Amino acid sequence: MRIHDALSGLLLALLAVAILVTVSQYPPIPGQNVGPSAFPGVVAILLLGCSLLLIWRGIRGERMPLVVMGAWTRSTRHAINFLLVIASLLFYIFCSEFFGFIITGTLILAILFYVLGVRPVLILPVAIVSTLVIHLIFYKFLRVPLPWGLLQGLHW
Amino acid sequence: MRGFKALVTSLVAGAALLTAAGAQAAFPDRPITMIVPWGAGGGTDATARIIASLMEKELKQPVNVVNRTGGSGVVGHSAIAQAPADGYTIGMITVEIAMMHWQGLTELNPTSYTPIALVNADPAGVQVAADAPYKNVKELLAAVKAGGPGKFKASGTGQGGIWHLAIAGLLKDQGIDPANVAWVPSNGAAPGLQDMIAGGVQIAPVSLPEARALIEAGKVKSLAVMDAKPSALFPKVPTLKSETGSDWTMAAWRGIAAPKGLPKDVADKLTAVVKKVYDSKEYQDFMAQRGFGIVWAGPADYAKFMAKSDSDMGTVMKAVGIAK
Amino acid sequence: MDLLTLTAAATKLVFDPYVLLVMVGSAAFGLFVGAIPGLTATMATALLVPITFFMPPVPAVAAIVTATAMAIFSGDIPGALLRIPGTPASAAYTDEAYQMTLKGQSELALGAGLVFSAIGGLFGTAVLIAAAPALAEIALKFSSFEYFWLVILGLSAAVFIGSNSVLKAVISLLIGLLVASVGLDNPGGYPRFTFGNTELMGGISMIPMMVGMFAISEILRFVVNIDPPARVLVQRLGNVFAGMWALTKKYPVQILRGSVLGTAVGIMPGAGADMASWMSYALSKKFSKESEKFGTGHVEGIVESGAANNSALGGAWIPAMVFGIPGDSITAIAIGVLYLKGLNPGPTLFLNHPENVYAIFLVFIVANIIMIPLGWMTIRLATNILRVPGNILMPIILLFCAVGAFAINNTVFGVTITLIFGLLAYVMEENGFPVAPAILGVVLGTMLEENFVTSMIKADGNPLVFFERPIAAGLGALTCVILFWPLASWLVRRLRTRPAY
Repeated sequence: MRIHDALSGLLLALLAVAILVTVSQYPPIPGQNVGPSAFPGVVAILLLGCSLLLIWRGIRGERMPLVVMGAWTRSTRHAINFLLVIASLLFYIFCSEFFGFIITGTLILAILFYVLGVRPVLILPVAIVSTLVIHLIFYKFLRVPLPWGLLQGLHW
Repeated sequence: MRGFKALVTSLVAGAALLTAAGAQAAFPDRPITMIVPWGAGGGTDATARIIASLMEKELKQPVNVVNRTGGSGVVGHSAIAQAPADGYTIGMITVEIAMMHWQGLTELNPTSYTPIALVNADPAGVQVAADAPYKNVKELLAAVKAGGPGKFKASGTGQGGIWHLAIAGLLKDQGIDPANVAWVPSNGAAPGLQDMIAGGVQIAPVSLPEARALIEAGKVKSLAVMDAKPSALFPKVPTLKSETGSDWTMAAWRGIAAPKGLPKDVADKLTAVVKKVYDSKEYQDFMAQRGFGIVWAGPADYAKFMAKSDSDMGTVMKAVGIAK
Repeated sequence: MDLLTLTAAATKLVFDPYVLLVMVGSAAFGLFVGAIPGLTATMATALLVPITFFMPPVPAVAAIVTATAMAIFSGDIPGALLRIPGTPASAAYTDEAYQMTLKGQSELALGAGLVFSAIGGLFGTAVLIAAAPALAEIALKFSSFEYFWLVILGLSAAVFIGSNSVLKAVISLLIGLLVASVGLDNPGGYPRFTFGNTELMGGISMIPMMVGMFAISEILRFVVNIDPPARVLVQRLGNVFAGMWALTKKYPVQILRGSVLGTAVGIMPGAGADMASWMSYALSKKFSKESEKFGTGHVEGIVESGAANNSALGGAWIPAMVFGIPGDSITAIAIGVLYLKGLNPGPTLFLNHPENVYAIFLVFIVANIIMIPLGWMTIRLATNILRVPGNILMPIILLFCAVGAFAINNTVFGVTITLIFGLLAYVMEENGFPVAPAILGVVLGTMLEENFVTSMIKADGNPLVFFERPIAAGLGALTCVILFWPLASWLVRRLRTRPAY
């Protein structure tokens, strides 16, 4: 996704202004002559300056549409791949606690293997083995409390 | 995709059976997580790790220390309070729990937990650079009083942190305007002490174990300790009371706590195990080696202790203008 | 005791089968943890501490020293092979090393990282042995004024590392600085940009953000790639040392400069290996005869900053051993262990337990030496993952990233950060905004604000004090020259090339 420099500059300028408005409401801290608004405020002003420069350069630069989507967005298969990567992380964020790591991990791997065209016979074995290996490394060796979720009764 | 469905269904069914069977087993039948609201390497982390490794021996189940840092302790303390009250998630809570809610940072206060045991307290000291002209705390306080607003600077923790309140409370107790000592926030005791040696600030009201290496190196001297009795680490450092007659005391404390509403039998079991750990030679040796102060209070006394700490903190924080 | 008896006593303490076994074990552990994205050297150390409770002093310290040295090096491995830096210290040259991998030179890139890490580490150790007490005194003279300039110098590294567009690099850096200001951990203790969310009060953790910006964006690029590139080849280096000897002869100044800078930055408590590696990479590019090759898979910068980040490790122990002041979170843990073993840090440590101090020095030397064979074995094994087909490797990396991001704070909030910054980095890179400066901004943002605010409080609001103390004035002048020199020379060129009428 290519965004015209003038447009990204505009978005960054809006971000900078939003930050300046937010920090202007921060209270001073008793005994400190520089409050919590100073640092983000200065950075936002610099960002505003840089984004104005970017807008100016964008307008003077090459002519291109405001947004050019990558070639992959026209290929359904690749667009699905992209969305599935994001969906897998969202699935991990919202469901790993309930399902537990082993089920979540196996599902994510199996689905991604499937859409990326791994040979069907390999999908489940590789997904299960890799998940179990990752679980062993993090849970056993590094003592990271990965959730058991539905498999709570199976913990070792 | 039909394969998955079958797989998931059978796994779920199997798991449900096993969970049901597991529920009858005695506590604990699986690993326990101990949340520490501060980073790896600090005093709280070290204390939690020794306690966890000794609890592990007693309980025959792993006790995993998990650092949930950030937000000056808010994040970790919230994580302990919000965990399921089944005894499998406990935590080491620190004095900040009696402070943060006064600042409006969180709703949590000491009553948001099931107290298990108090295991450590380190009183604040009054440290100055070794070459400072003050021979005792009285001379220092006189100079602070004469200096006027902001002439003296102190450091050793963040804005509104425990050592900030220690010095502000002391000044208030002595009838000196707390604004006479400006607080320079620092990321822990070590940078504050270093800044004092580098000449940036004059006072570092941190605990004695935190200042220990620099006191022993002859770079820093401790004028007084804000406690009822001298510390075991430096018995020659006088108490505030013997120097100035002030009753002001302030200490950072640490204790084990669980989420509110823990079943009584689980809480009793945990307290019994922590007591065993506390009495063990390993714990006593560890704390002595690190120079940390040891204090024991069971659940009831611990709750009372926290309530007192909470109201003390509220009074000072309102006086200094930090409380909302 | 004279030097000879001390060395003999120390040798006996270290060259003991048990100690050597502990060192090899912790070396393997450190290599492993460092190579997993999301797990840091600090975490490796913290996990070792309970085990060291039950060891005598020398092996306990040996375990920690060895594991950290290995973890800092092995952070380069996923960075070079997969473009996922294992530690922030490797993030400075991750792109460079990955470009080398794409050219088939992964073994050269990693071999250079390994051998020059070891050399830098030995240099840092030599300084530690020769001048610890004297240098610690200097480090103590550094107050927030000096740190402020040091951080500004570190940030200016982003401008020099900068890609084609300096403007976009600066914007990326500013975004990093803004990310650093999220949360409660600021000098005022005021919750900023938290939207009432408790997790955000803790700020945005650097590791999940880094994993997202490098790894997730890379995975996204892989899955949308319509015409996948041919499989990456691995050119096997016949004899690693022959190749490295050639590099040593070619870049002696770079190696020395990296080691000196790394040690110097390492000594400053709080600065550490991360800053050292960024500054020396920038320095390397600035003074290189072939600076146009930087960023295209050129080994020179890796040689210099690889030496810098491991020499910083030795440097960080100087204030730790002499005054008990931790240089970074790793030495903070190590100081705890020293106390536990009765080796209380302080000048007296050198008087009361000289044989133990010498044993620690020796441990540093041995650790840096055994790093070479063990590290080389790891590289040989690790490069095999390039043989795994991308459609199997990438989903597994995705899962690793999710678990790594979770493990930093044991919360799925880390995974959320990874996802958001992964998407952001994907869009940024498509549009020519480099992501590395954003990481640098987050690494140094908090330090910058803290040192600025504390300085202003101490100076009662008078900004001139930033130039009043001698060291601060020197650093300040240097910073101004470095920052304004490019601007001035650009203006001069501009004026000269103006057509004469």
